Amino acid sequence: MASRYDRAITVFSPDGHLFQVEYAQEAVKKGSTAVGIRGTDIVVLGVEKKSVAKLQDERTVRKICALDDHVCMAFAGLTADARVVINRARVECQSYKLTVEDPVTVEYITRFIATLKQKYTQSNGRRPFGISALIVGFDDDGIPRLYQTDPSGTYHAWKANAIGRSAKTVREFLEKNYTDDAIANDSEAIKLAIRALLEVVQSGGKNIELAIIRRNQPLKMFSAREIELQVTEIEKEKEEAEKKKSKKTT
Amino acid sequence: MAATFFGEVVKAPCRAGTEDQEEEEEGRRETAEDREVRRHLARKREVRLFRRQTKTSLEVSLLEKYPCSKFIIAIGNNAVAFLSSFVMNSGVWEEVGCAKLWNEWCRTTDKTHLSPAEAFCVFYHLKSSPSVFGSCARKNMQVTLLTCRHVTDYKTSESISSLHSPFLKALKTQNFKEPPCCSLLEQPNIVHDLPAAVLSYCQVWKIPAVLYLCYTDVMKLDLITVEAFKPILSSRSLKGLVKNIPQSTEILKKLLTTNEIQSNIYT
Repeated sequence: MASRYDRAITVFSPDGHLFQVEYAQEAVKKGSTAVGIRGTDIVVLGVEKKSVAKLQDERTVRKICALDDHVCMAFAGLTADARVVINRARVECQSYKLTVEDPVTVEYITRFIATLKQKYTQSNGRRPFGISALIVGFDDDGIPRLYQTDPSGTYHAWKANAIGRSAKTVREFLEKNYTDDAIANDSEAIKLAIRALLEVVQSGGKNIELAIIRRNQPLKMFSAREIELQVTEIEKEKEEAEKKKSKKTT
Repeated sequence: MAATFFGEVVKAPCRAGTEDQEEEEEGRRETAEDREVRRHLARKREVRLFRRQTKTSLEVSLLEKYPCSKFIIAIGNNAVAFLSSFVMNSGVWEEVGCAKLWNEWCRTTDKTHLSPAEAFCVFYHLKSSPSVFGSCARKNMQVTLLTCRHVTDYKTSESISSLHSPFLKALKTQNFKEPPCCSLLEQPNIVHDLPAAVLSYCQVWKIPAVLYLCYTDVMKLDLITVEAFKPILSSRSLKGLVKNIPQSTEILKKLLTTNEIQSNIYT
């Protein structure tokens, strides 16, 4: 049934599916996991780093990109599509700033990206963008924001979310562990992001990349050492929690 | 005679059966050359067993030389990785033979060199415990199959977003009395290719066999997919064979890093 209605993007199936858009969402699942967390004074983006070939320059394989000084995004899916979307978003951020003399709000740039993606689901001869994006940042009012977009062009605000491979597992972990205590301060929010990624990342801390934005501060990318320190702390806390548990049962 | 869309004239099949039939039959009769080509192809397509180290062929049927009580087949890279790290890691396994297939779609005719892109099968037997590939009659043999399939092939009336992939499903023959380690494969899902052929054979010959099918959304070698096979380790057929699970996980991780194919399309 599906094969007769999935050739063109502009054709609905009899039961209302746009199969090309749904297939684009499958392409997103082929990208490695990205997780975003909105804390009280911080927003955190963590991604699973893909292992880089020996001769490849690591700096050119980045999943977390700044769109402006106060907004950044992580994506999952087709690398080339992401590059195009990011370029357009960056130009829009500067164009807006020059026109209106104010930096973009996170919601504005998310809406711009989502509208761009939606256009490609309604055009003849074009295919949808095969990426989902997590966009984080602080507005002028100082409130932290996290938005997620997907290939269909929808966008929603989230407290915490994950995209890419094994996103479901990470989202379930976040649903269980995203509590007010967990985001009480900045370091707790960072630890929550790393713990969520460790659920699905294959070789621990060295395959994780992390970026944070604090209120009125620019994007900060964590170095490998800093991530290792966080991972060691998390493992220590885990061990202590397990010791306490075993003491309670004996 | 009929004209097709492109204007070529095609002879339409005639159901009445006219005199033209005799002429057609003459054209279809085989010449000696046709027979020779067919024989040559049949020889090429023969499945032969050989030893990889010595490159000598095995004349005797493998099952006659090594009758076994437990026959475990892993199909596909994730299933093979699971078997290599968890089962073959415990105990010493000796390679007893290898079979390589050729048909008209293969690009090479080299019969002894194996490259990962080609279809082949390697047979191992456990040195320390000959009853696995041991001296029991075929009657007591039990077959276990492991394979993977993409989750988009899984048909269900439930919502797709409620599926927690990767997940395991089982399909067994009538003679397999043991309860399987996971839920059975529901209708209308079907099994394809080699696992289906093996299960059908076992059902016909009343051999107890079980297939563990892992539905996953990552078809290439992936740690989470391989670990989805772990419940099978508690089954009776594999219980005695698996000893060191933490070490197996380490071996699996190493296998994954060495076999990772670099692709920059998806990030």
